Formats: sequence, C-alpha cells, structure tokens
Amino acid sequence: MSSPVLEFKPEQASLLLREVMERSGQNLLGCYQCRRCAAGCPVGEESGLTPDRLIRLILLGEREEALNNLLVWKCLACYTCGTRCPNNIQTARITEALKQMSKEAHIKPLVPSVGAFHDAFAKSVSHLGRVHELEFMALYEFKIAADRARRGEWKAIVGEMKEQARLGLTMMKKKRMHMGLEKVKGLSEVKHIYKKAKEKGR
Amino acid sequence: MEIAYYPGCSLHASSELYDIQNKMVFRQLGLELKELDDWNCCGATSASKTDEFLSIALPARNLGIADASGLSDIVIPCSSCYSRMLVSQKRLAEDPSLRAVINAELARKVEGKIRILSILEVLAPRAKSGELGEKVKRKLEGLRPACYYGCLLTRFPSDISVPDDVENPQGMENVCTALGAKPLEWGYKTDCCGASAVVNDADQSLSLMYKIMKDAVARGANCFVTTCPMCQMNLDAYQDRVGEKYGIGARLPVYFLTELVGLAMGIGPGEMQIDRHFVDAVGLLKELKLL
Repeated sequence: MSSPVLEFKPEQASLLLREVMERSGQNLLGCYQCRRCAAGCPVGEESGLTPDRLIRLILLGEREEALNNLLVWKCLACYTCGTRCPNNIQTARITEALKQMSKEAHIKPLVPSVGAFHDAFAKSVSHLGRVHELEFMALYEFKIAADRARRGEWKAIVGEMKEQARLGLTMMKKKRMHMGLEKVKGLSEVKHIYKKAKEKGR
Repeated sequence: MEIAYYPGCSLHASSELYDIQNKMVFRQLGLELKELDDWNCCGATSASKTDEFLSIALPARNLGIADASGLSDIVIPCSSCYSRMLVSQKRLAEDPSLRAVINAELARKVEGKIRILSILEVLAPRAKSGELGEKVKRKLEGLRPACYYGCLLTRFPSDISVPDDVENPQGMENVCTALGAKPLEWGYKTDCCGASAVVNDADQSLSLMYKIMKDAVARGANCFVTTCPMCQMNLDAYQDRVGEKYGIGARLPVYFLTELVGLAMGIGPGEMQIDRHFVDAVGLLKELKLL
C-alpha cells in the first residue's frame, strides 16, 4: 500500500480507539510496531495492509479507513498474528469488531461475498439449530448472485455456477452430499439466544 | 470408559466418514463416544464475525449439555468447533455476569467443569505411553505423511494453553510414528488453508493451499494427515483446482488421523469408508501393500 503521511486526529482517535478496544477486548496501545504480525499474516500481501498498519490507523483516528479496508474482510481469523504478538494483541479480534462496526454503520463490505457468507451461515443456524450445508450454500449463492446481477457481473455469476456445479457433482459421486435435515429439539432455546443477541446489538 | 462427543455439523454431513471412523477407532481404544444429546451448531467462525454474543452463547448451550452429561471429558474432532467451545468456556469462566445472562436462556446450565479435548489430545498421550503402538497390527510402512495441523488446534484468540509446541507441534508426528509411518518435517504444518475463504474468497484460499501443497510435494510427502474436517475438505476437494491453477501434477490423499490409526489397528478400509475421499486414498495403500 502506498501510505500517505497520516495525521493524528486526537478527538476522533480517542473515540475510535476506545470503541475498538472495548469491543475487541484488545489493548491496542501495547503495539510498538515490531511487525511480527505482519511477517506471519497470510493475507497481508493481497490486502495491502497488515495488522500493525491497521492498529496504527485506529490509533491515529482514521475511522473511515479502519472500517473500510481489505484486511477487515480478508482476515481469516487464523490467529497467527496474535499468537506471535509480544504484547498479546489479537488482531483477528480487532477485525471481527471492525466488521461488526462497519455493518452497523451500513458500510458495504469491500469483499461482499465474505459478508454474505457469514450472514448466511448465522441465518442458517438460526433456522434449525444446525448448519445444513445445502440450505446454507443456497442462501449464500442466491445472495451473491443477486449482488452480482445488480452490478452486471454476469461472467462472475457463470464462473461461480460452474465451480459450484463441479464441486457438487464430485461430492455426489463421493457420497459426501447430504440431503437430510437435522433439527435441534431445543430449537426454542437457540431462537432465544438469537433474540438475546439482537437485543444486545441494539 | 465413556467420553462425551461433539461431532459438529460437518461430521453429520459432508465429513460423515470421519464420524464413523472416530466411533470405530475409539471403541478399539476402549473409549465409548457418547454423542451429546441434542447438540447445536457452535456458530463456527461466522458467529464470531457477525455477533460477539452469539459466538459465546451458541457453544454455551452445548457446554451446558456436556456438563449435565456427568462425564469428565468431551472430545471434539473439528478444530473450529473445538476452538469455539474452548473460547466460550474460558470466557464464561472469566465473566460470571455474562454466564448468568446466558444460563438464564438454557435448560442445562454451563458449569464449566467438562474438559475439552481434541482428537489429538486423546491420541497423542496414548502414542507416548506406548499403548497405541501395542495395538498396531499392520505397520504403515512406506507412508510419508505431511502432518497438517492448520490454525485452530494450536492457536486461540484468547489465552488458552496448548499441550504442544505452538509453532512446530509434534503430536501428530508422534502418533504417525507409533503407527509405523515416517512423517516428515516441513514448513507449512500450521499455516492456514483459508477454511471457508475457499467459498467466499477463492483465489486467496487457493494461493494458500498452493503453498502448502508445494512444500509437501517438494519434501517428498506421499499423503497429508489432518484432524480437522475443514482442512481435510479443503485440501482434498480443491486439490485438483490448486494443481490445475498452479501447475502441480502430484495428487496427495488427505487422510484423517483416526483413519490411519484404524488401518494400523486392522480395521478394513471398507468399514471406514476410505473410498469417500476426493483424491483417491485407497490406491496409495494398495501400492504400499498396506491393504
């Protein structure tokens, strides 16, 4: 990333920093930019941003950039950065918090398929209490196909369909596709948990 | 001995063979797996990426059921389920007020007493004590596995102790050695395969798998071994795509660790449904005269 010189914005900085620290439970002030995290980050290269840079953005109060960058969406939660951090800062917890904050701020995910995936997964669990792979994949595929259609990305839709059909056929051949639905008996408990989560999010 | 068991969603669907193998192999080790009654999805990575409360509360319902089972240990084969349950248990131990909020929603309350184990935490001590070696009927000679741990067996988002070297774990190698195989040293055993990114950020995930695959092939591995159904699925189902994209001709079967233990203890490949792998997993065993 070609990084412009960033300016410290004290007022925005303390607000943003406090919110991220509270939500992620991470002490961002401990970061002394040693970049051990950067060396191990599997998506740093493609994201153009590494955990140390993301922390720096937050410390400087760059709210927009912090909520809207590729690392937030490409982070795999592999926990390599946090395991190696000498100050125990788990950046995957920070990207989780930023993802939730960016959703609340109605910012469109920079990688829409990632946002759609996690939403579809959580939704699928709320239906039956267990993930049903086919239902979940259908939820997800419809969501991203609709998004892509809106943007006129027909080639991407066809490409995705081809890849999924190829995988689906192999899975059928290997008897790894399951049609049966498993429903949790205590589904009302699961529904209550979801309801509570919604209340807490407000 | 009875031990509680949480299969998780994938072992009841695309990785059903792993579920079947676990039950069979553990029985031969004198461990009866008691599946948790009416368990629910742990929320996996998606819950933690969408809602903090959900990511703790979904596993908590399972922990409550597990505590009520009266058993002392629970084994969780999927690394993602294992990690989420450990994180939830730890968080609830540290935060009594959150525990009270969540317990209010649950019929079976979280007490936090059950000990959570991975497949490896059951097998590795038995390899060390020699128990596993004594049960081997057919040494897996000629098998040179690249033991693949992935992320979530040794790395956690909170302070959870790991009974192995975090950067260079040896548990799986020790189990393989006890079975007569020759596991090799390589550089990508704890690197990330991308997990669900293979679906939602495919190029990213394929490039990570390429690095894993390239190193394993270069070191002379003739197969992968793993305990995580996500890692297994990725390296197995997408190996052709990785190979085609990056020009790797070799194809390595991706075994579950329990599958190799089962083979060595004399359980038949048919019983364990080894023919359900994407990359042919039976051919190599025949070639090495292990079948």
